[in-house]
Amino acid sequence: MEVLDFMKKTALLVLFIFIMSLIACRPAQKHENDSALNGRLIISGAWALYPLAVSWAEEFKEIHPGVKIEISAGGAGKGMADVLSGLVDLAMVSREIYPQEIEQGAFFIPVAVDAVVPTVNHGNPVLGVLKEKGMKKDIFLRLWIKGEKLDWGLIYGQGTVGEINIYTRSDACGAAATFAAFLDKMQEDLQGTGIYGDPGMVTAVRDDRLGIGYNNINFVYDKDTRCPVEGVDVIPVDLNENGILDESENFYSTLDLMVNAVSEGRYPAPPARELYFVSKGKPPEGLAKEFLIYVLAQGQQLNLEAGYVSISEDKIKLALDKLR
Amino acid sequence: MAAGRITKDRIARICMVLTTAAVNIVLLLVLLGLFAKSGPVLKQNNLLQLIFSSEWSPLKGQFGLFNFIFGTFTVTFLAIIISAPLCLLTAVYLSEYSSRRLLYWAKLFIDMLAGIPAVVYGVWGVLVIIPLIRDYFAPLFGKAVTGYSLLAGGIVLSIMVSPIIISVLLEIFSSIENELKESSLSLGATKWQTVKHVILKKSLSGIISAVILGTSRALGGTMAVLMVTGNVAVIPDSIFDPIYTIPSLIANNYGEMLSIPLYDSALMFAGLVLLLIILAFNIASRLMLLKYRREV
Repeated sequence: MEVLDFMKKTALLVLFIFIMSLIACRPAQKHENDSALNGRLIISGAWALYPLAVSWAEEFKEIHPGVKIEISAGGAGKGMADVLSGLVDLAMVSREIYPQEIEQGAFFIPVAVDAVVPTVNHGNPVLGVLKEKGMKKDIFLRLWIKGEKLDWGLIYGQGTVGEINIYTRSDACGAAATFAAFLDKMQEDLQGTGIYGDPGMVTAVRDDRLGIGYNNINFVYDKDTRCPVEGVDVIPVDLNENGILDESENFYSTLDLMVNAVSEGRYPAPPARELYFVSKGKPPEGLAKEFLIYVLAQGQQLNLEAGYVSISEDKIKLALDKLR
Repeated sequence: MAAGRITKDRIARICMVLTTAAVNIVLLLVLLGLFAKSGPVLKQNNLLQLIFSSEWSPLKGQFGLFNFIFGTFTVTFLAIIISAPLCLLTAVYLSEYSSRRLLYWAKLFIDMLAGIPAVVYGVWGVLVIIPLIRDYFAPLFGKAVTGYSLLAGGIVLSIMVSPIIISVLLEIFSSIENELKESSLSLGATKWQTVKHVILKKSLSGIISAVILGTSRALGGTMAVLMVTGNVAVIPDSIFDPIYTIPSLIANNYGEMLSIPLYDSALMFAGLVLLLIILAFNIASRLMLLKYRREV
């Protein structure tokens, strides 16, 4: 009886392993001899770059069927720590690289650009005038850095309509670091109620008529409608500080206009930002280097569809030089 | 054949001893690991200053944990204030008044409540409790707030620790001898008098230990608390103000800050402080239970 039981279990186990290996191997077996490149590439890091990295990996695996790429998201700092300790080949990083990290051998290549935008509730009492005049950097400073309690109406010379509720990110993240950099500060200087994660921030602003927050554009705009998600609006920034939102400053209504403005530099960086792949030291000939070269060339065509901006020609050239 | 059986028995025994030892050693290893990792920050800063300073700006080398420790204690305290009376009444009702059938079903639901993942409680808190506080509770006190607050954390946490407190209480009440209850009832005492003078009196230290056990659970609550308390490291003026707890601090920053040495070390030190606090509560609860068992 016992022996029979053991055999049954073994048979099940073998069957399971067999099925798993079938599933795992299928794509790789399609056309095995198309390219010489094979091996395994492990990537970890920022949530902000994760969706695009997955698209790149899919396409790269189609070109080089012998290659396996494992991508996990767990935050820019985790990716950075993983790559510096040699656990992974590449890290996805959504903020500027700290000097301490460069000292430890961080070698970074920009691979995409996205942006952080300030957001408000769609039912904001002064939404009309807000969209007409935009918001000056000084107001952002007074809210997030000085932590002043301002009234929505008073900013625009109207009566009191309700005090602004300021939201910031509680988790250390690229979006907050970039938004703080826009105000010439660090994330730890940002005041406000701390909310966990990009989706949490969207919820907080969507539910609070008097709230103000900031998000990655990928979480503010819907990929299908290309417009801001239901209940949330983007705050136009009065970049030239003339008290009115000029035609050239008005590009917040759709994702495509926004992406365009970022790529032409009309929306400044920060709060636009570069996203990086980081390796420990310059990658030697091989898979990691090939993948980076692919990302800088063909890979860039996937950026727009996924809601990111491509790296400019000059920067691609610089990056390629840096790689070779 | 017989020798084979005995060998098998021996092997099984050795395996079990090893796993038991491994499980027990883990706590020691965690403590040692945290202590070793806290080394750098302890070397550069005064221990008292780390615990009692309110200045937390890691990139400038300031690692005062006081506001986080304060936040952790206040949200836990609030959760216990809310849940302890509710749990006590529930447990008394279920064990003394209700039918067996109701007890069975109620226990089932309470166990299910215990099985809900913390992150689900967190989302529920954001979607239900936060608007409730913002739109109904706070305006009663003339406050305009975001809803992300000490109160929200306390409410969510109180619901999360209730199942454990209730099940420990039920166990304690069921261990009281029937003779004791019956003699009280036969003397003409009402059910409520019996509860008050016999059951609650007899199980006092057990009740305290149940509450302490709930407290140590609440101290480590992370995900749900993180999502609803607003995470601002200040001493709150009222229950409608946001707070920041140690578990939230670690969860928020650990992944991102591994690459900065002293920051990493400060977070490990925060973890050590939290672990020691929880250990102290667990030991207290254990001692209370021992005392209770001796009394019964």
